[in-house]
Amino acid sequence: MTAPSPAPVAAPARVPFDRKLARAAQTVTSRALGPYQTAIVRIGFSLTWLFFLVREFPHRHEMYGPDGPWSFDLARRLIADNRAFTVLMWSDGRLWFEVVYGLAVAAAVLLLLGWHTRAVSVVFMVGALSLQNRSVFLGDGGDNVVHLVSIYLTLIRCGQVWSLDARRAARRAARGEEGARKVELTGPALWVVLGGFLVAATWFSPVTGEWWIYVLLWVLWLGQGLWWLVEQYAPGEPRVLLDVLANLAHNAALTVLMAEVCLIYATAGWYKIQGSRWQDGTALFYPLHLDYFTPWPALSELLASSGIMVMLLSYGTVIVQVAFPFTLFKRKVKNVLLVAMMLEHAGIALLLGLPAFSMAMIAADAVFLPTVFLVWLGARAARGRDLLLRREPAAAGLPPQRPAREAGGEPGGEADGEAAPRTLVG
Amino acid sequence: MSAHIDGSGDRRPTAGILALSMPYQVVAAVALAAAAVLACLHLAMVFLHVAPSNTVTKQHGQAVDDWIYPEFEQNWKLFAPNPLQQNVSVQVRAEVLSDRDGSRRTTGWIDLTAQDVEDIRGNVFPSHTQQNQLRRAIDWYGNAHDEEGRPKGMRGRLSEAYMRRIVLLRIEGAGARADVGGKVERIQLRRTARPVASPHWSTEKRSTESSSRQMPWWDITDADRSRTETSR
Repeated sequence: MTAPSPAPVAAPARVPFDRKLARAAQTVTSRALGPYQTAIVRIGFSLTWLFFLVREFPHRHEMYGPDGPWSFDLARRLIADNRAFTVLMWSDGRLWFEVVYGLAVAAAVLLLLGWHTRAVSVVFMVGALSLQNRSVFLGDGGDNVVHLVSIYLTLIRCGQVWSLDARRAARRAARGEEGARKVELTGPALWVVLGGFLVAATWFSPVTGEWWIYVLLWVLWLGQGLWWLVEQYAPGEPRVLLDVLANLAHNAALTVLMAEVCLIYATAGWYKIQGSRWQDGTALFYPLHLDYFTPWPALSELLASSGIMVMLLSYGTVIVQVAFPFTLFKRKVKNVLLVAMMLEHAGIALLLGLPAFSMAMIAADAVFLPTVFLVWLGARAARGRDLLLRREPAAAGLPPQRPAREAGGEPGGEADGEAAPRTLVG
Repeated sequence: MSAHIDGSGDRRPTAGILALSMPYQVVAAVALAAAAVLACLHLAMVFLHVAPSNTVTKQHGQAVDDWIYPEFEQNWKLFAPNPLQQNVSVQVRAEVLSDRDGSRRTTGWIDLTAQDVEDIRGNVFPSHTQQNQLRRAIDWYGNAHDEEGRPKGMRGRLSEAYMRRIVLLRIEGAGARADVGGKVERIQLRRTARPVASPHWSTEKRSTESSSRQMPWWDITDADRSRTETSR
């Protein structure tokens, strides 16, 4: 390292506000915040999209195939106009379609597991965007959330915990110096393959996609290459700088994601307030009588037959949706509303026959779950897995999965809020 | 963390902007500013996109649209301001050239929505092909046509072609849900709206009279089935 660090960016830390500013700058540059929250969002969305793709597998040709009702030619004419990004526009061959669908499924599985998370998250986004943009008139709110979040996830370090990446990092740390020196080939190989795809994508850019998508893809790809080089040959300050940049992108994208969820609820709630049916407390009655949203008519009828129940749920929905963004400043109230919203979505999944939409919304809500709960959940899941596989608890062999940065031996990098997990996990 | 936050502590941070020397710190600070500006700008755009039409969007609506469409498009007016209060269904009748004797006949009305509803009943995970395809196609068709049923530009014509292909998939050929037993030469669509009756506890009187709207007869050309033909 070079000269001693100068005083914080803004000014000498005499005034408390400056100090706060410097501290905030240090926080958002030194850590990728919410490791557990971003991991659960990653798991939630990859699982949702995976369920969806597997469920629609028998219908995939009718939905996204070149010969479906929304044919390749119709899609081509629309996309020439709206410039949406879909690699399915590269060719109208059936083989290419099967490859893309297969890659979308594979990316969902790998993102779920957290295998080379950053690279896979990009493939996940390309898969989701490609299928959805191919047939835009097929989606609903659930597809819409997956679409947005898949873009944001490419900038989020969502594999810090509960991922194969985290396990790999922990093992490398356990092996010490010699482990860290060992060069792994999977990453570079993946990088080269994806580079080939990227060149192809750029070749086809006049056909599909806006310019910024290609900038994003190139920046991510070049960034990965640079990261590898720096890690090998310049592990000092350049490596710290890259980490700072990655943390910045993560924290900015995470903020956007959280605000996006608030906007979803705010929009849904505030527009409802203006509706006469939500005002007179009968709103819920009507969806319960729509043929497209009543897989269990007897159940819907049962719920709809009670005027009081319908009104309570209608009012409750509006109140929760409008209130939620404001409760973020009050932890306890926020958690209560979060539970209410997740339960409501679980109900919607069954009652209105919208499981994919509901799963996506629950996964989005999960970004606001408290760390303590997530760590507890992770510990329970790990114990369940160990029991299931009849093996000794992980604690005996490997250290429990923690943020990769921490596993790397970063001193004092953890906030007080995350001190509790150690005892819970360990 | 606060112990070594101001750089004057005895331990230097090993990560973050304070762990860097001056030139690197400048890069980090610029990146920090860029990330903050970009995030705020994006959120402002998304906000203006989902907000009602207002002073800003009236003046800068194009800039917002350019930023948002197509990848960040979103609509969260879920059952809002009011939930849909009618069941919309689509029927079709077709002029068919019979496979067996080459005669030409017109079928009765075939209820395509009823097929969807039948598939959705008792289904824990309805497919988008059952729940969204026809429902959203007819919705889009309505939005892409004016009051007199004339298509609005390219999207209007695309929505017609889309409807024709959806219909053909469902009524023509051995794999079709309601095979008409021949080559479809012309089709006519009918959109029926049946209002949901008011709740029994409500004093409000709502008409539950269905209203239908017929679309013109459309000729089926090879373009409407070209590719579906090869895939069968």
